[in-house]
Amino acid sequence: MKRALYIALNEVRLYLRDKGDLAFSLLLPIITFALLYGAFGGQMTFEGTAYVVDEDKGYYASVFLEKLDGIDGLDVELLTPAEADTKLDRSDIQLVLYIPGGFSEALALGDRAQLNFRQRGNTSQWDQVVASMVRGVAEDINQEFQVRGQVSVSLQGQGVSQERIEVTVQKFLEQEREDPVVRVREETLGGSPDFVNQYLPGIVTMYVVFAITLSARVIVEERRKGTLERLLTTRLSGGQLFLGKFFASISRGFVQTFILLALSYMVFQLFTPLSFIECLVIAIIFAAAAGALGLIIASIARSEEGASWIAVVFSVLTFMFGGTFFEIAEGTTLYTISRLSINSYANKAFDTIIAQGGSLADVGTELGILAGVMVVGLLVSRLIFRVMPGGK
Amino acid sequence: MAEAFLVAEDLYKSFNEFKAVNGVSFTISKGEIFGLLGPNGAGKTTTIRMLSTVLEPDSGQITIGGYTIRQNAEAIRGLIGVCPQDLALYEELSALENMVFFGRMAGLNGRDAHAQAMAHLKLMGLEDRARGKVAKYSGGMKRRINLAIALMGSPQLVFLDEPTVGIDPQSRNNIFETISGLRDDGMTILYTTHYMEEADRLCDRIAIMDGGQIIRMDTPYQLKGEIGSPEQVTLEDVFLKLTGRSLRD
Repeated sequence: MKRALYIALNEVRLYLRDKGDLAFSLLLPIITFALLYGAFGGQMTFEGTAYVVDEDKGYYASVFLEKLDGIDGLDVELLTPAEADTKLDRSDIQLVLYIPGGFSEALALGDRAQLNFRQRGNTSQWDQVVASMVRGVAEDINQEFQVRGQVSVSLQGQGVSQERIEVTVQKFLEQEREDPVVRVREETLGGSPDFVNQYLPGIVTMYVVFAITLSARVIVEERRKGTLERLLTTRLSGGQLFLGKFFASISRGFVQTFILLALSYMVFQLFTPLSFIECLVIAIIFAAAAGALGLIIASIARSEEGASWIAVVFSVLTFMFGGTFFEIAEGTTLYTISRLSINSYANKAFDTIIAQGGSLADVGTELGILAGVMVVGLLVSRLIFRVMPGGK
Repeated sequence: MAEAFLVAEDLYKSFNEFKAVNGVSFTISKGEIFGLLGPNGAGKTTTIRMLSTVLEPDSGQITIGGYTIRQNAEAIRGLIGVCPQDLALYEELSALENMVFFGRMAGLNGRDAHAQAMAHLKLMGLEDRARGKVAKYSGGMKRRINLAIALMGSPQLVFLDEPTVGIDPQSRNNIFETISGLRDDGMTILYTTHYMEEADRLCDRIAIMDGGQIIRMDTPYQLKGEIGSPEQVTLEDVFLKLTGRSLRD
């Protein structure tokens, strides 16, 4: 067992020394994840700027601007009238809000006040959104003044000071904002997370299947270097050699999967800590099954090209018939064929945990089949290596 | 007569129709340097591959250190070290890492493997480059490491398959002196080479192979004496007389 571990450690060390291989196997899952994130990740948020000319500069103008600036995703940029004209003329901006002089004074006197928009041509959808936000803030202020006015009228002659009315109304309005009478609850149906749920299992299994290609080459690489024959003259047994190569291929396949799952965990929050660990368990067992199948190819192949070709064809067939990126309907011929692909069992196991919120207990059959493939793969590869020329 | 450490009896090995080894028998005594000479394709490497448990003979018997190869191949692997004709190194690793790794494969623990590796590297004049990547070594340095790895685990019998092929005179001299030192330490060595003068100086006995068979086996002195005065005749004269002058590619 010790010698098998030395073989595995040596293999990992060689892997770490090969910068190209290392970059490929570590960066590729990160790039894939970045693409996945770019395609399905993040949230659609509005970001816009309200261009404002404040000709009033009074108290209520500043209250209005403060409220406007407090809206998420909306910046307020103050312009002078001359700047606004220039920018509008040059079409640098399409929409400017003017707070006219006397705005605060009118409101203070209880009179009606007006805000003005100036726009150039047809404004964009983003400007329309900004305009809606401005209207919303104006509406808020409008309601506040209406409430204040009505309360003042109601309490007129009852000895309540205007200042107290102001404070009390303000307090109630803030309470109302924090705990509104009408709430809006948002429920996302479909959308980004489901895309990730749908594709992540396929991407993870795809990376694990790369382990087949990697482990398919391990024996011919040793043969090419001449080290295989040298190893075969040491006390290392053929079984220990295979076990060592097997451990190494599991670790390589698992590292890639771990990167993908960990990034998904951190960025998409797809997992609970438990489901994350459960996915890692599935990944190890699947990597072991894939690695053992790769070793069968390794024991047959006589050249690196041969090993790579057999592994690539085998992997592609495994992808195609394993329902990696599309669902295969039960009862169809394709479904029957898909039962021959280890991907279909791994996909189902990942899908059960990631998308359906299941546990390892729900995927016992799939894990059992993958473990069986691993054992049979190891035994068959060892047997083939024993009878092949140059084997042991 | 000295104790026989290796006994090869009537070995046969064919690859399809080609008879690579065709009834080879010889013994090597403990502490002896036995030279196996022959033109290209004579069957030397196939013989070594059978003796080192890599290839199974079609028929015949091999006994090393009292163990028969068919029943006790693993025990035999514990007694031997092999320096193959082609370099067998992990070029991505350092010389020290290569040697420690093969030392562990030979059954040494980490500390002993490291100590032996450093001792052998010193012997090969490579202790200063121990941690350098093998890929950056010269051909002669790689050859020396190739030989040093065969000595890891202190084997009792070492197979050296053309260890000095294609290297500079300094490296060749270093390897030559190392092998002389191993002989002085009582190590049993089976040695193949195309350099006749090397074989003449190093080997206690020599077997000349051709066409998969041993065509003559004796001490260098006796072999030279067969065609003239041993002081005037070279081993190369004997070799060419026995194997002919036609090219073997």
